[in-house]
Amino acid sequence: MTTENSVRFEHVTVAYHQAVGIEDVSFSVEPGEFLGIIGPNGSGKTTLLRVVLGLVAPVSGRVRVLGASGHDLRQVRSRIGYVPQRRPLDPQFPVSVREAVAMGLYPTLRAFRRPTADDRRRVEGVLAAVGLLDTADHVAGHLSGGQQQRLLIARALVQEPQILLLDEPTSAVDVATRSAIVELVRRLHADRKLTTLYVTHDVNEVLPCVDKVLYINRTVRAFGSCADILNRETLESLYGGRVVFAEEGGRRYVIVGDRHA
Amino acid sequence: MLDILHYGFMQRALLSSVIVGTTCSLIGVFVVLRGMAFAGSGLAHAAFGGVALGFLLAINPLFAAVLFCLGTAGLIQVASRRAQLRMDAAIGIFFAFAMALGVLFIGLMKRYDARVYGYLFGNVLGVTAGNLILMGVLGLIVIGTIGLLYRQFKFLSFDEEMAEASGLPTGALAAVLIGLLALTVVVSLKTVGIILVEALLVTPAATAYQLTHRYGMMFVLSWIAGIVSCVVGLVVSYAIGIPSGAAIVIVATLLFALAAFLSPKRRKCKVCGRESTADTG
Repeated sequence: MTTENSVRFEHVTVAYHQAVGIEDVSFSVEPGEFLGIIGPNGSGKTTLLRVVLGLVAPVSGRVRVLGASGHDLRQVRSRIGYVPQRRPLDPQFPVSVREAVAMGLYPTLRAFRRPTADDRRRVEGVLAAVGLLDTADHVAGHLSGGQQQRLLIARALVQEPQILLLDEPTSAVDVATRSAIVELVRRLHADRKLTTLYVTHDVNEVLPCVDKVLYINRTVRAFGSCADILNRETLESLYGGRVVFAEEGGRRYVIVGDRHA
Repeated sequence: MLDILHYGFMQRALLSSVIVGTTCSLIGVFVVLRGMAFAGSGLAHAAFGGVALGFLLAINPLFAAVLFCLGTAGLIQVASRRAQLRMDAAIGIFFAFAMALGVLFIGLMKRYDARVYGYLFGNVLGVTAGNLILMGVLGLIVIGTIGLLYRQFKFLSFDEEMAEASGLPTGALAAVLIGLLALTVVVSLKTVGIILVEALLVTPAATAYQLTHRYGMMFVLSWIAGIVSCVVGLVVSYAIGIPSGAAIVIVATLLFALAAFLSPKRRKCKVCGRESTADTG
């Protein structure tokens, strides 16, 4: 693990098709921290993750990820696990859960080289970690929505990343599955000391586990520790409406009221 | 029946059928899984321009077709990536352009040469030793590259966005794949022809797709279907005197119909009303 920031943005602006994606974004994440990135739809959350992956180049500003910047960002991509917003996997594509997870190793495999016994053990290990060992030989596209999300997390983990990026990993699953996935991410973050960037539009999803919160709406509207951001004054100014905190079963929830109320 | 193997033209025909059956059925797995059937059809039609150019310039038509198909594949790839154009629109533009050039080249010939039209429907019995060497070299390039990038192509076909995010050079891999498709089309021109090559690119792989949920097994079954189609089609065409390209495609289609009828996927859907959650692979 590096001793410098895992991720550092300095006044980063990204433009797509002559429109601004994110503007003048600055923040940093230390090794092993859990950053919750919240914001409304279309606020630039996914763009931010794509910049971390080196898939989108900023038009201005500086990005450092695991000590790399500029074109070198591609060199550290194999040390970043990425869980995209879930689209249903093709139920007819002839690939098993085990094979789909092993695909996370392919970018580091040399031509003609087959996965080694060690690689196969890593696949088994992450399948066990996400609770999919029993379904390892099933067709990947035949899994339920929640299981497919676990598969994507396993594929991100198999390359043994230092940074884990999750883009609304619970957007297409039911409430019970959502809680299970958040708990799984929290546990993996704690056990593996992963630097975790978790994108969501629901602040309650990351409340139990985050160290820092970034609220983005094209530009950074708020960034700081949970205590700095997750208080009534700050949230009411961000959401533009009444905010109430409620407690249930030892957990704290944010309820955002009608902004016109 | 083995008597027919005493003829040199029949030995060459059989060998070319094995080469065509192998290359088409292996690249066909990606054609089916990535939905590239129109690309195969487009490149086959583009080959007509190359064949016509070959006759116009009095050079090997297959060699000219290689250059034409690879050029068309490159233009399709550049147009779809750089010009923000859908792949099917890019194919539509450039395959029609290549066909138009073919018609133009035929018009520029000083005298009519009916051999040009022989490439439309293929004539496996007319394969020369020179044709066979070129087909063998191109076939080895296609098969070797698939072996080299087998897993990378799998990731690309399954989830292109994630493959890119994981660090695979997806643009280069997609370009290599369409280049291999172009070479495969040229390999098949003499045997099944421009019009019917599409069937060999799709049907054996689609037959395999009916029978397995496993990626590796799909290659094996597709290869078997491709070889059986080409060899049985060749023998039938010789035995009853029908065009070889047509016979090969008819055999391939019958195999597909049989596989679709026997498909374990179809039986599962009848029982559960949707895709099964159990793996049959």
